[in-house]
Amino acid sequence: MNRIAIPKHEWDERLSQLLSSLDLYAPVENDFSCDYVKLDTDTIPEISYNKPKPVTPLKNFFLPVKENVTDSTNGSPVVLIGAPNCDVMALAFLDQIYLDQEYDDPSYGDRRDRTTIISFDCLSIQEHCHCTSYGIEPVGNKFADISAALVEEQVILSIFTEKGESFVQKLGIVVASTPEENLLEKLQTQQKEVKELLGKQNNALPGYEKTGELVEASGDEPWIKYASDCVSCGACSAICPTCSCFLLIDRPGFEKIRQLDTCQYPGFERVAGGEDSLGHLKDRFRNRYMCKYVWKPLKYELKACTGCGRCIEACIGQINKNELFMELAN
Amino acid sequence: MGKNGSLYKPLKCELVKVIDESPLIKTFVLVPEQEFSFATGQFIEVTVDGMGEAPFTPSSSPLQKDKLEVTVMKTGYVTDHMHRMKPGELMGIRGPFGRGYPLEKFYDKEVLILGGGCGFAPIRSLLFNLIAISDKLRKVTLCYGSKTPEDCIYKPYIQELRDTPKFEVLRSVDQANGNWNERVGVVTVLLDDVKMDIKNSVAVVCGPPIMMKFGTMKLLEMGYPEHDIFLSMEKNMSCGLGKCGHCMMGKYLVCKDGPVFTYDEIKDQPHIWN
Repeated sequence: MNRIAIPKHEWDERLSQLLSSLDLYAPVENDFSCDYVKLDTDTIPEISYNKPKPVTPLKNFFLPVKENVTDSTNGSPVVLIGAPNCDVMALAFLDQIYLDQEYDDPSYGDRRDRTTIISFDCLSIQEHCHCTSYGIEPVGNKFADISAALVEEQVILSIFTEKGESFVQKLGIVVASTPEENLLEKLQTQQKEVKELLGKQNNALPGYEKTGELVEASGDEPWIKYASDCVSCGACSAICPTCSCFLLIDRPGFEKIRQLDTCQYPGFERVAGGEDSLGHLKDRFRNRYMCKYVWKPLKYELKACTGCGRCIEACIGQINKNELFMELAN
Repeated sequence: MGKNGSLYKPLKCELVKVIDESPLIKTFVLVPEQEFSFATGQFIEVTVDGMGEAPFTPSSSPLQKDKLEVTVMKTGYVTDHMHRMKPGELMGIRGPFGRGYPLEKFYDKEVLILGGGCGFAPIRSLLFNLIAISDKLRKVTLCYGSKTPEDCIYKPYIQELRDTPKFEVLRSVDQANGNWNERVGVVTVLLDDVKMDIKNSVAVVCGPPIMMKFGTMKLLEMGYPEHDIFLSMEKNMSCGLGKCGHCMMGKYLVCKDGPVFTYDEIKDQPHIWN
């Protein structure tokens, strides 16, 4: 891994110069929250650094809510700046499904190929963040092309991949400077503090594997109780960076439209003749947890929940899955 | 199928013939615009243009590449539309998908096949294949059940099978009428009549979920080991690629890991019979 530091004003300038050849996205604060915007010269100085999770999960860049998948797509290069590591790891999880050896999904694959991902280290936490409980670090790693953090008006870039190297070349920095020791020490101290804060916030939360055991072993009671506040709106899945189930819709001319779907909707598993193994709300509600914590771990190497906590924030029934898991643990 | 093609674009086929098999079941003979091959037990997605798509296991011989047949019961939105289609119209197919019957595991064995209703469709494809490799098999016994004699499908084919060395066919109906001279009762009653060398036998089950459940239980009672019972599972297979999630059955995606499973593979998974 190669590490360089760039003064923020120079970084902003270099990004501005790339606008003519690349589509750049990064999180920017708005009146209500923080979310990705397509960058222009006005928004580049306003990029929100070091903070956890933009509202939109990273998956939406690769799996739009609705798209025509009949034919292959070939788009232009994109640079996504500012994804938190929980989202980057969620994308790595989705790669296992969408880029599998047998059926490499063309539109997802095309977007993955032409997108450079620059993650941001989280140097603060939000109320429902719990990545470390599931063994995921709040700082960037090799699953991103580059990870970045802003420390004392210096942008520190850790470059992990060839795609990352190529982006740095495009930035056109003639002499890259290695970050000064005290800057790195400061970054490491802040990273350590964030991990401690996360540990403290989630000290009673069972880990990922333990959660799977608890979900599998539990009786009906907790699911009936928590599902009584669920209205099957599907917000938890829509906002989840690893939920990626979809519906294929037919259009005349043998066209296929892919629309994101969720097992939380009635009829998700219904077959011809009407049999529906997830006909009852409590079964659908539990299914999502069985899927993430019991079944997917048996099938895929990476974790199907990365602890971003968005599902808790999005739930209109105010269902807090972490409370549910702590209840199961006691 | 790979990165250069679309996994989702159907191959166009001309519907060349529609055969009435029973009041609710028709066979559609399709000629794809290019050669199409599948292994027996694999399934395809059939598109009715602009209306929808549904999974079917072809009922024709996997050895035939220029046309294929699907046998379809009128039971939902897509199949209602299919039943209204006429020769000359276009349909689409995607696939083939999934894991079919592992024929090499049938070599030197007696094969007991239990089928019900429209579950005969995948079985017919299997039978075509078994006839082609019959020199490697000891015998094949088909037990087929339907609701009434009118609901029995592939009537001319039954006779052909009965005339084929090493093949025998036993049939039952839930409700008989005057012309029926075979067994009456649910399909599992036929298992009381079969004489199989169970130690040197495998069993195949395909049909409605309730029949699959009781059929499997009876085979287990008869002494068939769990790993020698092959089940063709039906779930809401939509994309066929192991991505859309609609056919999840516990740790398996039926479209990719199945649709053919042995009973011991799936017995601990949820909702296997519904």
